[in-house]
Amino acid sequence: MVAALTRLFGTRHVDLAEDIVQETLLKAMQEWPFRGVPDQPAAWLHRVARNLAIDRLRREARGLELLKENAALLRSEWTLSSTVNEAMSTPAIADDQLRMMFACCHPAIPREQQVALALKTLCGFSVPEIARAFVTNEETINKRLYRAREAFRALGRIEFPSESELRGRMEHVLGTIYLLFNEGYNSTSHEELIREDLIEEALRLCDLLTRNTATDTPEAHALLALMLYHSARSEARLDAHRDIVLLKDQDRSKWDRELIALADRHIDLAVTRQPLSAYQAEAAIAAVHAHASSFAETDWAAIISLYDELLRMNPSPVVRFNRAIAVAQAKGPAAGTIALDEVKGLEGSHLYHAARGDLLRDLSRRDEAREAYALAASLTRSPAETELLRKKRDALA
Amino acid sequence: MSKYMFLFRGGSDMQNASPADQQAGMMKWKVWMDGIAAQGKLVGGEPLNYGEGKVLSGRAKKITDGPFAEAKEIVGGYLIVDTANMDEAVELGKGCPIFDNDGSVEVRTVMQM
Repeated sequence: MVAALTRLFGTRHVDLAEDIVQETLLKAMQEWPFRGVPDQPAAWLHRVARNLAIDRLRREARGLELLKENAALLRSEWTLSSTVNEAMSTPAIADDQLRMMFACCHPAIPREQQVALALKTLCGFSVPEIARAFVTNEETINKRLYRAREAFRALGRIEFPSESELRGRMEHVLGTIYLLFNEGYNSTSHEELIREDLIEEALRLCDLLTRNTATDTPEAHALLALMLYHSARSEARLDAHRDIVLLKDQDRSKWDRELIALADRHIDLAVTRQPLSAYQAEAAIAAVHAHASSFAETDWAAIISLYDELLRMNPSPVVRFNRAIAVAQAKGPAAGTIALDEVKGLEGSHLYHAARGDLLRDLSRRDEAREAYALAASLTRSPAETELLRKKRDALA
Repeated sequence: MSKYMFLFRGGSDMQNASPADQQAGMMKWKVWMDGIAAQGKLVGGEPLNYGEGKVLSGRAKKITDGPFAEAKEIVGGYLIVDTANMDEAVELGKGCPIFDNDGSVEVRTVMQM
């Protein structure tokens, strides 16, 4: 609804749009407990928001700097209500969410701010919730949002990018969605609800992209598949004490087969067009894992060649690191350690040292392994991971 | 560019129509005005209620209740457009949905003083 209203008013008045939605929700909270939840809650909310928007425009339209194309329409009673009605219709709202996504992920807005802005305007998160999602304080988020809004207001209208721009802009949108997802999936905070919300929102936004003919690119399908494969494993990823369970040790019967099947459908749509993009290669790797009956029986050779593919597109230390892990599985810990030692630039990552510790342990280089675990434990912020690393180190004592 | 005013007379009173008819009628007006706005030629305007009205007249400012004319003479609203000339304004006026209901559009030039 915020997206639809902002499109109507222009990005300059995103505050007004948020105000109206806020007031709508407030009305629902006041009325529903007494009169019961209406038969069609969504329709009820839309109707209330529409009426509030009409009221506010009636009172304030003359003082607002509206968009040229609809200013006259919103200032005249002839057209005010029908213009607002049309903007708030259901199909228009889906389109507006897409447009809003592109506006929030505009290259003029720094990435960190894009995510905060998307969470606020597209996903309806409150400032404290965003702060929790980023494991930071509200003041930081307020500042981030303030700067994002300044840039956002300057955009003027919420537009769908032109065909020639679309490719580059899609990259931004997908990057932001993936960041949102990772923030939820790999979050070091313990707020389960927030984590699930972040994952759900990332999936929803990406799903929205795959449903529009202009944006259902192979990359969008690939990213959705990738996130679905990861989500399918989320149940098995934490044990009863909320500690992280490694892929190797996960109970594969807990993997969500429905999500994997859904991911399969999207990856089929993603790989029809060549050349492979990074998301496609990553999704393909996740697919190999998802269909392996056990860790040992995973097709590691296929995974190594997919990582090689990925390295050609994106020669980053993280990709090199993951490839080394696959090498260790395919060719043993000795080959894996050599591959790991070739990775440069991850000296500050606990994951790197933890993996190194595992391989050194398997090679019976116990002292080096203990050292690696200790280093890893000192680098992570997650209590669950610290606990896991400490256990491993102590097992070698 | 000059301003021209459309004065609408007659037509049907939307307030007595069924909600569906009202909606359909509103949409026709919106489509027409959307078209004018899209060309950047719409300045503004408002519809007028047929039912209630007052007329003040004479030095004594005598107040009488309206409506005060026959239905087809009642002004039902106005619109101001910004066009190159009278011909263009008249051309825009031809698209007005009021003709579906036997109304009329009077096009007048806004006087520059």
